[in-house]
This record gives sequence, C-alpha cells and structure tokens, in this order.
Amino acid sequence: MLWSLVAVPMLVGLAVAGLPWQPRLGWATAGFMTALVGWAAVVVAVGSPTSLSWGPRLALTLDATGLARVMAVLVPAVAAAVLAWVAATGGGHEPRPARLIGVLVAFVAAMELLVLADDLLTLLVAWELVAVCSWVLIGHRHDDAHRTRQAGTAYLTTRVGDLGLFVAAGAAVAGAGSLSYDALPTASAGWLGLVAAGVLLAAAAKSAQLPFSPWLFAAMAGPTPVSALLHSATMVAAGAYVLARLAPAFAPVAWFGPVVAGLGLATSLAAGLVALASLDLKRALAASTSAQYGLILVAVGSGATGAAAGHLVTHAVFKALLFLAAGTVAHATGTLDLRKIRVGGASPPLTAAIVVAAAALAAAPPLGGAWSKEEILAAAGRSGPWLTAGVVAAGALSALYAARLAVLVLRPATSPVPPPKTAEAAPLLALAAVSVALGALWLPGGGRLVEDLSGGRLAEGAAWELPVSVAALAIAFTAVTRLVRTDRLATGLVPARVQQVASAWFNLGSLGRLAVVSPTLSLSRALGRIDDAVIDAGVRSAVAVAGACSRLFAAVAELNMDRVVGAVAGGWLAVGGAARVADDNGVDRAVEGVVAGAVTLGARARRVQTGLSHQYYLLVAGGIVVMVVIAVLGRA
Amino acid sequence: MLTAAVFAPLLGALLIAGLPARRAAAARWVALAVTTVPLSIMVVAWARFNGGAGFELVERARWIPTLGVTYTVGVDGISLPLAAMTSLLFLAAVVFPFDTSGRPRAYFALMLFLETASLGLFLALDLFLFYVFFDVSLVGMYFLIAGWGHGEARRSAQKFFLYTLAGSLVMLLAIIGLYLATDPRTFDMAAIIAHPPLPAGGLRATLVFFGFLIGFAVKTPLVPFHTWLPPAHVDAPAPASTILAGVLLKMGTYGFIRIALQMMPGTFRRFADLVMVIAVVSILYGALVALAQTNLKRLIAYTSINHMGYVLLGIGAAAAASDPGARTLALTGATTEMVAHGLITGALFLLAGSVLTRSGTYELSKLGGLAARTPLFTATMALAAFASLGLPGLAGFVAEIQVFTGTIAVRPLAAVGLLGIVLTAAVFLRMLQQVLLGPLPENLRGWPDLGRAELAALTILLSMAVVIGVAPGWLLDVIDASARTIIPGRR
Repeated sequence: MLWSLVAVPMLVGLAVAGLPWQPRLGWATAGFMTALVGWAAVVVAVGSPTSLSWGPRLALTLDATGLARVMAVLVPAVAAAVLAWVAATGGGHEPRPARLIGVLVAFVAAMELLVLADDLLTLLVAWELVAVCSWVLIGHRHDDAHRTRQAGTAYLTTRVGDLGLFVAAGAAVAGAGSLSYDALPTASAGWLGLVAAGVLLAAAAKSAQLPFSPWLFAAMAGPTPVSALLHSATMVAAGAYVLARLAPAFAPVAWFGPVVAGLGLATSLAAGLVALASLDLKRALAASTSAQYGLILVAVGSGATGAAAGHLVTHAVFKALLFLAAGTVAHATGTLDLRKIRVGGASPPLTAAIVVAAAALAAAPPLGGAWSKEEILAAAGRSGPWLTAGVVAAGALSALYAARLAVLVLRPATSPVPPPKTAEAAPLLALAAVSVALGALWLPGGGRLVEDLSGGRLAEGAAWELPVSVAALAIAFTAVTRLVRTDRLATGLVPARVQQVASAWFNLGSLGRLAVVSPTLSLSRALGRIDDAVIDAGVRSAVAVAGACSRLFAAVAELNMDRVVGAVAGGWLAVGGAARVADDNGVDRAVEGVVAGAVTLGARARRVQTGLSHQYYLLVAGGIVVMVVIAVLGRA
Repeated sequence: MLTAAVFAPLLGALLIAGLPARRAAAARWVALAVTTVPLSIMVVAWARFNGGAGFELVERARWIPTLGVTYTVGVDGISLPLAAMTSLLFLAAVVFPFDTSGRPRAYFALMLFLETASLGLFLALDLFLFYVFFDVSLVGMYFLIAGWGHGEARRSAQKFFLYTLAGSLVMLLAIIGLYLATDPRTFDMAAIIAHPPLPAGGLRATLVFFGFLIGFAVKTPLVPFHTWLPPAHVDAPAPASTILAGVLLKMGTYGFIRIALQMMPGTFRRFADLVMVIAVVSILYGALVALAQTNLKRLIAYTSINHMGYVLLGIGAAAAASDPGARTLALTGATTEMVAHGLITGALFLLAGSVLTRSGTYELSKLGGLAARTPLFTATMALAAFASLGLPGLAGFVAEIQVFTGTIAVRPLAAVGLLGIVLTAAVFLRMLQQVLLGPLPENLRGWPDLGRAELAALTILLSMAVVIGVAPGWLLDVIDASARTIIPGRR
C-alpha cells in the first residue's frame, strides 16, 4: 500500500506532462492531489512496512514511522494548494503548463519515496529523483539558456552533497553489513560517524545550509509554483527531514549534535542578513528558507526532533503561502523589486494572506510558526547560552525580514493594481487558514500531540523565553514601520556596504565558481590538451614506426602478394606441423581461398587508391588470424 | 545450444555474402532475422540457468588434444548477462537505419561476423578459444570502421587495430605464461580457475599478471592506454560505435574478472590497490577530459573511459576484499555496470549517429535548442544522458551504488572516485544544455525528429535500461550467484 503513494503520482505525473494543456486538466490534477492527501492519511495509518527486492543483497524498503507519517500527508497537501493556484491562474503564468504540473506531481511522488524510505538505498534513489525533478522544473523555460544553466547550477551543487549519501551507504555496509536504518546502531563508532558525516553533507546541500546556500538563488530561475513547493515540502525540506529522521540513530556520534546545531545557527544568522539585504522579493524569501531550515537544524542538533518536526510543518505551510502570494503580487505588479513593489489594499483576501504568512514567518504568537520557533528556542536553551543567544538573534532577524517584506509589499499602490481572481485567492486563503489553525498547537496538549505524531521529543522551555521573543518582535516591527515612513525601508536596514555583499549571498556563489568550478574547468581543458599532445604523442610515434614497417612490408607485398600470402600460409602450416600434424593440400587451398576472399572484401571496403599499404598490412595480419583458426580447426 | 548462438550469425554472414547483387537490399532483413536467433537462445539459456557455483550449459568438443586445447563454451552469472546484452546490442545495431554506401552485403556480413566473435568470446571456456575470438573481433571492427566510417576513418581504424593488436599480443604472452605453468598442460578455463597455477609472489606470477593488466587495460581502455578510443569512436559509423563501446570494451573488463581475478586471485590481491588507483585515475581523468570536449562523440567516448573506471574499481575492490558481502557487492556492481554501460552508451552513440545524419557534424557549438522542435529525440537523449550520469530508476545507478558501497566498505579512500559522479553530471548537463536547451538556431528549424527505425533501436536499449533500473532483481540474482563464488575457497 505504501508503494501506491509513490507509484500512482509518478505515473499520473508522467501522463499529465504529456497531455495538451487545458484549464480542466489543471483542476483535475489539483483534485487528484487533494485525493492523494486523503489516501496518504489512510495509508500511513494502516500501511505496513513493505519492500521491493533488488536481488539477494539489496532491497527498497518503505515504512511509515513517526515523522514520515506527518510528512507523507503534508507533502501532497501543500502540493494540492500549489496545483490549485496553478489551475486558478490558468497555468501559473508559464508556457507549457501541462508539463509543469505533470512534473510537479512526479516531484511529489519522489518526495513521498524520500519520506517513506526506510534504508539508505531507497533514500539515495529518492534523493536523486527529487533532484532531477527540480532540475526539470527550475529549467522549465527550456528555450531560455540562462534559466537552464541556473537549473544546472542548482543540480550540480546539490549533487556534491549526494556524494555524502554514497559514502554513508558504503560506511553502513562496512559497519553494519546492511543499508537499513534499523541496522545503523549496530555499526561501530567509526563507521557510524562516517555515515553521519555523509548524511550531514547531503542534508546540508539539499537544505541550502552553509556553504551550499546560494543554489537557492539559482533555483529562483524556476516558475513561482515550483519555488512554492520546492522550498516548503519537497527538495529543500528533504535535508532537514532526513536529519530529524536519522538523528536518534546518530546519538552515539558525539560531534553530530553540536555540529548540526552550529551549522544550522550559522546559516540562520547569515541567511537572515541576506534576507534583510535582498532587494528582490523571491530572493529574500529564498534566503529566509535557508534561515528557517537552519533553525530546524538547531532543533535536531539539540536533540529536540519534535520541535524540528513542528517547524517543518508550520514552515511548509507559511512558506508555500508566501511564494504563491509573491507569485500573485508579481503578476499583478509586474515586478519583484522590493523598491518598487506595492499592492496596498488591492484585495482584502490577498492582504490577509500576506499578513498571516508574514506573521507566521516572524513567529508572532499565536500562530503555529511561533509555537514551533519557541520550541526550538527551548531546545537551544538546553544546549547552552551561546546557542540560546544565537537563536534569539536569529529569531529577531526573522521578525525583522518578515516585517520588512510585508510592510514593503503592502505599501499603498501608486498605480491601480488588478486584484486576483477569487479562484486564485482561494488557495492562498486556504493555506492562511491552515497557518492560523496550526496556532492550536499553543493550546494545552499541543506539544504532546506533536510528540505523539512525530515520534520526536520536545524540550522544556524557560519562562523568560516567550517574553523576550515577543519583545524582539515588537522592536522589529517598530523599527520597520519607522523606516517605511521615511521611505528607507527597502535599503536602509543594513549598511550599504553590507547590503551589496549580503544580497549576493556574501559572494559565496562567486567564491564557489572561483575556488571550485573554474579550477575544475581549467584542469579539464588542460587535461584535454595533454591527452592529445602528450599521451597520444607517445602512441603516435610508435604508430609511425609501425607504419614505416608496414610500408616496407607492403612494398614487398605489392611485388608479389600471392607469394607472400603463400609463404605466410606455409609458415603457419609449418607451425601446425610442429604440433605433430601432417601437411594437407585441402587445408592449404582453404587457407588461400579465405585470404583471397578477405582481400576481395577489403577491396570492396576501401575507397580506392591512397594508403593501400596500410590495408595490405592489415589484411595480411587479419588473414593470419583466420589462417590460424582454419589450420587448427582442420587439424583437430 | 550456446554453440548455435555463437555460429548462427556466422552462417548468416555467409548467407548474406552469397546473396546475388540484385537482392543486396535484402541483406538488412536477413541480418535482422539472424540477430534474433542468438537473442532467443540467450533468453532460453537465462530461463535454464540455475545459478550455482561454476559453469553451466557447457558444450565441449575435441580440438587440439596435444596442446590441451578444446572447443568449450558455457556460461556463469558473469558471462550470461554479458552475452545476452551483446545479442541485444547487435539487434539494435542492425535495426538502426544506416546508409551502407551501396555495400549492404559486406556491411551486414561483417556485422554478423563480429557478433560471432563477440558472443564466442564471452561464452568461451577455453583460453585459446578466448584468444582467437579476442583477435578476430579486432578484424571485424577494423573493416567496419575503415569501410564505413567518416572523417579520417582509415587512419583511426588503423590506430585502433594496431594499438589493440599490440595489447592482445601482450595478453597472448601472458596466456602462454599461464598455460606453461599448468600441470597437466591445459587451456581449460574451469580447470585453471579450480587450481590457479601460479602462486602469488613469484616473479613469473607478477610478470604474467602485468601482461594481463596491460593487455586488458588497452582493450578496456584505461588511462593511459586509451588514446585509440576517441578517434575510433569519432570516425566509426554509429552502429559500429555502439558495438565498440557496448561490446568490445567489455572484452577487457570481462578478461579482468574471468582471467586476472579468477585465475590469479592471489596475485590480483597483491596488486589490487594499484588496480584501484588506475581505476580512480580513469574515472576522474575520463570525466575531466570529457568535460573539455567540443565534439559530441568524443565526449561520449571519454565518458566510456570514466565508466570503465567504475567497472575496474569494483573488480579491484573485489580482489582486495576480505569481507564476502562487500566483495560480492563490488563485483556484482562491476558486472551490472558492464551491462548498463553497454545499453546506455550504445544508445548515446546511436543518438550521435542521428545527429550526424541530420547535421553533418558532431560539433556541440553547432547544435542547440532542439527541445523546442524534436520531442522524441529530446526525450531519448535526456533519458540516455541521465542514465549515463547515474540517475536512479535507470540501469547505471544500480551498478554505481553497488560498486561504490562495496568499494568504500573495502577501501574508504576510494571515495575519491565519487567525484567522478559529480563530474559526469556536469558533462552530461553541459551536453544537454548545448544540444537541447536554449533558443533554437535558425538553421536547425528543419531538423526532423527520430524516425521509426531509429526509435525502435533506441527503445530496445533504453527500455532495458529502465527495466534494470526499476526492478533489477532478476539480473542481480544471476550475477550475484556467480559473484559470490567467483574465487573458490574465498567465499
């Protein structure tokens, strides 16, 4: 049954991608995805572990445990909203919408495989399928060379991380003799550490953590609905999910928790600055994605996988909403430039959606996003003062950038902005409603529910944490409203010099090109030349000598081909004689016949004249081989 | 039965050669019919294969008893998949439309002759027979390249012939060295494998091993013995390129397993680390040089060197491994990679042939934007490229995951070779970018999509790549059975 969550959307997706586009197809696909949500809820509740054998040593195994159950329902749920938005906009303002939604559905299938995976092989399979779907989706406008190159950058960056999973798989086989998650604890400390390191590398690349974060900027070349799904419930979510899923198994690895938490915090702070500095709405949102997954890593590193699960869910909902709203706004205003973008009160539903989404991103109580962020703060509090201070700072940053984006976008419009259609606003409102409903987690028992559903743990929070967070939020909001009045909000939050560097992701992308890509390409070109000029030169000189010999040989052969052939044949027959065989005229004739045949064949095969000598040499060589065969055959 | 598979193509070749000139056009259809014979036999052989230790379906005939030479054919879990893949590849190569320049009889007769040599090599269980087929295959391929190639076809064919002939002579010396150590003197592979004649450590064992190493390294080819490959591929006709990459290269890697590993396990173990270093160098070097290519066919040729590096890495790890699980995994992966590479690279070379017939060039800079115009070509090209870079769901991944998990478990440092996976991804993304993506140039507006015969040949190869990629159990069962028991006494 679990397989149906993978196979059905995969086949439906591929089929839809090949159909001609019409609005009904869009709604039908959204309807299919909604049905899949219900089916997923049923399957994860009653489905038993299952596997597909790949021979005696390998198998793809699926199991819906803890967090996997939550994710298996969450992924199609977010996708359903995204697909409804595509249908409502008549194709997401993109060319070839059928291909777009078809691949989006396949993307969901790959992600379902990833969350249900119960061993490293299945994980690796899903991991790569998710990546290739994202490559197709980011490069959706395949006639735009710039966008397809950006898709390549995103794919290659994350593929560097994929190597980690290969290493992890090798280490698991060496240490535990199995690729199964369940067998990991039986691995010795050294091998388990290597597995953990490999998984961390892969997860960091996928979840856009340092130093891989800039690939999310490249991914911005894709259509908005792609970003909405990719940032919230698929692809980028995969890294954080897998860390949360496997963290218990890595408990014996001492460095794992601190390193994961440290990496997450560093990314969260750096990406927060990037989000603050960015002048492009989608880029600012992309940076906030890195920052939010950074917070989830802090939770994982602190041992609070329940908090990580909670934030995975709340973030998925509000981030999908943010991107879809950004898509609607961008289409209405024709820009993503934060200095120019302003929709004012063009449409109350749109305004409401933006306010809810931004408030959730800012972690404003009583929204669900605030609950999970507070749980992360509580988890960090258990790990020491530095991490706590860091999370408070990261939280303040997220409040600042969320407020900045919302306030900038909602500035009164200078020219009339067409309001979105009701159908387009509906998925936004639905996601906003879910975001608000997730506020129920604040109620008593909310924490217990998350722990039960995800199978993870939560940390006991300290009393001062919530007031401090709310105060930070208030300060952030005040600062933002003040700046917007003087019209310095877009550029005035960070010093101009920092702005430039930060909005380019601290030049990490250029640094990567400079330190990795360019040297690789130079090396590749140099080796290409060496291959011709040095390695092959040795061979060529040998060939020249052989060629001279063959010309000499051929000169003799041209004088009297028959005699040479006869002599060679005779020579081989003499060899045969050495093997205690008598001479036989029949064989002799057969040999000569075959050689003559080969010569005729060669004569047909070559295009006349020049270079006859080479042919002769080769014919004789080939003839010799045939003669050996015949001679020994005849003597058996 | 296997004998029929080996010699049916040869009979077909004679039949085609004997066709009257006015019936020459029938040559293709005769060849097509003939290539289904070995394929059918392989399907039957697969069904009858039990999968225990040692060889099955053995057929034997006296040949030169005084030298201990016999005609013996048979299969195990390593050679059966290779022979089956070979018969499939020849079918695809014959199906693929090709302009024989008015000489269909000679072309198809040579193609079938080459099939006999190729199948004979994988099925031979006698070292002498193995050597004969090894050399005869060179002759067939030489004439195909020289007679129907383009560019500097004759020069490339000559280089291919001389280089690989030199390699096979080194191998011949090694075979003789091995033969002279057997007691009683025999060329019988099964007997030599059961009692490897040359104990590791001696000078003679080392010399013989290096003879095999160099001989097979030329054929495979491995860096630095690879420079015959790119020109041979570039100038060869598309179906011949497919056979060259898909079948002939496997003769080298198959030799590494069947002869070097099975007949000299101790010596191979001694030099396993050296072999793995050569493999990693081939992986990285092949991928890096491929990245620099501006010619589609040269690019694919260099990725072959990279993929053969994966195969050798798995074999080297199997030789070094003391853990049976890791050894079997690495060796099963290496064998799967041979099959996968045959199917996938075979398809890529056919696609390169389609490019040549439409554009008259392999230069990547003259292509582009074809995704907008040719859905079938785009889909097959993208599928083949992603299969080659190891996308899960396709055959290459099944091979690579096993090679790397097995190898890393044996020698964690070999993980350096993983960089090859990123590099091949870069190579193929760049290729797709230059051929399919971006704006469609004006002069390519009239590019016709794949024809029916082209699609049929590509479907034969790529559908197998998908089947193996999604559910490879039936294949891995067969390979695993032999990989597990490949070295008697070391289970």
